[in-house]
Amino acid sequence: MTPQADLGIFAISVAAGLIGALAGVGGGILVIPALTIGFGVDIHLAIGASIVSVIATSSGAAAAYVRDRMTDMRVGMFLELATTTGAVCGALLAAVVAPAFLYVLLGVILLGSAGMQVSRMGEETPPTASASASGLATRLRLASSYPDRKLGSEVAYSAQRIPLGFVLMWIAGLVSGLLGIGSGVLKVLAMDGAMRLPMKVSSATSNFMIGVTAAASAGIYLGRGDVDPQIAAPVALGVLTGALIGARLLQHISNRSVRLIFLPVLIAVGLETIARGLGFGI
Amino acid sequence: MTPERFREMVSGVLIVGVVVSAAFIAVGFVAALAVGWQGSLLGAAAATSANTDFSNLPRRLATLEPAAIAQLGLATLLATPVARVAASVVGFALEGDRLYAAITTAVLLILLTSILVLR
Repeated sequence: MTPQADLGIFAISVAAGLIGALAGVGGGILVIPALTIGFGVDIHLAIGASIVSVIATSSGAAAAYVRDRMTDMRVGMFLELATTTGAVCGALLAAVVAPAFLYVLLGVILLGSAGMQVSRMGEETPPTASASASGLATRLRLASSYPDRKLGSEVAYSAQRIPLGFVLMWIAGLVSGLLGIGSGVLKVLAMDGAMRLPMKVSSATSNFMIGVTAAASAGIYLGRGDVDPQIAAPVALGVLTGALIGARLLQHISNRSVRLIFLPVLIAVGLETIARGLGFGI
Repeated sequence: MTPERFREMVSGVLIVGVVVSAAFIAVGFVAALAVGWQGSLLGAAAATSANTDFSNLPRRLATLEPAAIAQLGLATLLATPVARVAASVVGFALEGDRLYAAITTAVLLILLTSILVLR
C-alpha cells in the first residue's frame, strides 16, 4: 500500500465509522466494496477488515451510547441471547446450505422493509412510546426511557411484540453467521420495526450488539489469515475516529434524521446482498 | 451498584479496550511507515511468516515488528466485546438483577463456545 492508498482507506473508514455509529450498522457495506473495487484488495482480506470495522464501530460508539443512556443494555443483552445462538447455528449450517438463494431472499426482505421505513419517515417517536408496558416487558424490564437532547425531554418507551423481536434477532444472528452480512440492519429493523423502540435507541442498541455478534465469528477470520494488519490497521483507526464523532452527533439529531441515514444504508445492503446472490461478487 | 455506576463501568471497559487497541495499532502503523510491514524496529531479519499469522505474536513482538504491534492492537480490539459482556455479568450481579446476570452469563458462555468451537 502506498501512503496515498493508506490515506484513502483511512478516509473511507472514517465515513464508514460515522455512518455506522449513526445508523446502528457495522460499516461493512462501505468498507468491503471500497477495499475491493477502490484499492484492489483481495475479498477475503476485505471481509476480515470489515469484521474489524464492525467491532471498532460497535466498541467506539457504544462507549458513549452506554454512558449517555442511549443504549438499552437490558434490551441488548436479552436479544444477544438470540443473536449469538442464531450466529452459531448459521456458522454450522454454512457448510451444508447453498446460500445463493438465501442472499436473494434476504435482499428482497431488506428492500421490502425499506418501504416500511419510508412510511415511518414522518414519525419522531413511536406512537406507543407512552403506552403502558405489557406484562412480558415488565417482567423482562424492557421498558425504560432515554434522554433526547434534540427534543429536550426524557422519552419513555416500552418494547412491544417481544417474542417476534426475539425471533427476528435469532434470524439476524443466523444470517450473519451464514452469510456474514446484514447483521446491523436486521437488528435495527427488529428493534424499530417489530419492537417499536425509538429509532435512536434501536440504532444505539444495535451498535452495542453488533460487536458481540462479530466477535463470535472473529476467531474464524483470524485463524484463516483474513485479518491483515496492513489493511485492517488503517481501517480500524479510521472507523474508530468516525464512530467517536458519530456517537457525539447522535445525541443532537432527531429520530427522523437517524431514519433518513439508515434508509439508504438499508437499500444499499439489500441491493448488494441480491447482487451477491446472483453471482456478482463485490 | 447503581445503574449509573454500572453504565460507567461498561462504558469504561469499552473505552479502555478502544484506547489500548488504537494505541498499539497506531504505533504499529507509524512504525510500518518507517521500516515497512515486513521490517523490525530492532533491525532484525525480515519477517519470514505472513503478517496474517496471529499464532507467533510473542516472538515477533520481541523483535518489535510493526506488523506484530498492530496485530496485538487488532487482537485487543476483537477481544473488547467479550470483555464488555464479562463486565456486564459482574454489573448485573452487583446490581442484584439475577435474571439479567443469568441471561448475560448465558451470552458469555455461548460467545466463548463459539469462539473456541468455530475455528
